Amino acid sequence: MAPPPAPPVLLEVRGLTKRYLGLTAVDDLSFSVESGAIVGIIGPNGSGKSTTVDCLSGFTPADHGRWFLEGRELSGRSPSAIARAGLIRTFQNVRAYDEMTLLDNLCVASQESDGVGWLEALGRTAGLRRAEAAARERGGALLASVGLSEYAEAPAAVLSYGQRKLLSIAASMMARPKLIVLDEPVAGVNPTLIRGIDAVIRALNAQGVSFIIIEHNVEFVMSLCRRVIVLESGARIADGPPALIRSDPRVLAAYLGKTRASELAGGRG
Amino acid sequence: MSRAGALRSGLAALAIVALFLVPRISGNEYFLALGVSFATFAVLATGLNLVYGYTGLLSFAQVGFFGIGAYTAVLLVLERDWSVLAGALAGGTLAAAVGLVIGYSSLRLSRHAFAIVSLSFALLCMLVARDWVSLTRGAMGIPGLPTPTLSLPGVGAWRLARPADFYYLLLSFAVVAHALVYLVVTSRLGRAMRAVKLNEALAQSQGVNPLAYKLLTIGLSALLAGMVGGFFVFYLTIVDPSIFDFYYTETMLIMVIMGGPGSFWGVLLSAAVLSAVPDLLRFTTDLRMVLYGVALIAVMLIVPGGLGGWLERRRLARWRRPRAASS
Repeated sequence: MAPPPAPPVLLEVRGLTKRYLGLTAVDDLSFSVESGAIVGIIGPNGSGKSTTVDCLSGFTPADHGRWFLEGRELSGRSPSAIARAGLIRTFQNVRAYDEMTLLDNLCVASQESDGVGWLEALGRTAGLRRAEAAARERGGALLASVGLSEYAEAPAAVLSYGQRKLLSIAASMMARPKLIVLDEPVAGVNPTLIRGIDAVIRALNAQGVSFIIIEHNVEFVMSLCRRVIVLESGARIADGPPALIRSDPRVLAAYLGKTRASELAGGRG
Repeated sequence: MSRAGALRSGLAALAIVALFLVPRISGNEYFLALGVSFATFAVLATGLNLVYGYTGLLSFAQVGFFGIGAYTAVLLVLERDWSVLAGALAGGTLAAAVGLVIGYSSLRLSRHAFAIVSLSFALLCMLVARDWVSLTRGAMGIPGLPTPTLSLPGVGAWRLARPADFYYLLLSFAVVAHALVYLVVTSRLGRAMRAVKLNEALAQSQGVNPLAYKLLTIGLSALLAGMVGGFFVFYLTIVDPSIFDFYYTETMLIMVIMGGPGSFWGVLLSAAVLSAVPDLLRFTTDLRMVLYGVALIAVMLIVPGGLGGWLERRRLARWRRPRAASS
């Protein structure tokens, strides 16, 4: 039987490199992400995960390397331009506009991508009113999907830490991005909410959104992602389905420490 | 429109009508002088509020734009025979252009760089006004400005001879300026500006280009400050380097901080109150700025965020109460 055709490449990264003084945080990293995938990126502290996100999203200028979203070059562009091109990131230390209502938090997230210009916004044209009504409707639906409907008109400051993570995932969806990069979506979140976040990501993925998930919580990544990339010292040391990653000796050595690795490998096997 | 919104616009319309009726009820020049001062400071403070309160950029440059507008209008009226209206418009346009240049060059670094550059810019303006004698006539300034005449379509020539005329002119301009700012901050542009102030990185990650919004607020506030400077200076009848005095900056900052940065109505209200207060405190001119300082510290201790911040906290408390009860 012939293998099924490979899904089209969504993100292609070539030779991404970032150095801080003497330290090479990301070292000639190349990978690609297929359309519709949920790819996990894991690695011990200091392995370059967050630097990778910061470079891809334009927040930190890369020293070398180019990356493309559906063939359009993103390297060298500003964070806001990269976001408008369809690559949206979230932040490890969750961010929200505390003094704005949840619904406004979401509406901001799509207003630069709906094609309505400043003059139309000032003139309150029919086009603007349509766009705003659509944003509020989508925002309401997204809040419902993350279980925050009752706070739609509340300022974001009233949310708990975990609820803020949910809000940031909902906000990342607003502009209908092609790829969402979640930076530690479940760090510091209680187990019940972790299951909630897991469900939200799966539901959005079923609607066709692709994800890259940077996480310390290995179990979360292993259960959610069909493909996991492991970084160590800024380089990719393993790449494949969770089952393969679990048993990869280099990963176990790098990620869990050599002694713990042998214990765990024994315990799991 | 919500009921609170309808109430607010009703009150605003009423206040505008009442303000325009003041000269008819009482020709008292003292009240008119207060009114001119209120209209001028309200425009300056609201412009600063746009920059500092909405996009979160601390700016000391407003007074520079104010003075640039004043000098430009005076020189064009005196030496090129322009009308006051055209002169003030040119002054505002030049101020906006200068604002965009210093904003664009410094904001590429950071918002702190902008604060420092704006302060240096205001000081530099005063030096230029004092030392570029061939243009500005130096430290003595240009006294005895002529009584300006506005030619208004449909009304004919309007000679601004009485204090009431300046009162009408500056009040009208203040209404137009505030309407413009209100239009901006209540549109979704205002929402993006607040997003930039509250969390710039998050806004960027959502496609908002902070520089564009910052430049919009700087340009608009500079335009308004320059224009109001161009009108106000003919009421003063003199332009000299003291138009760049730090006193203006201080007063604007206090108005914005007491009214609540980011609160349109709060700042307008505090501009009204604080325009009246200095004259109430006139018996103690030396102590005035000290009293301002004390009041400022009191506000920061008792109601941080000013009037607008206090209202905001009440809104938050309303949402927190039922949550605390249910959990």
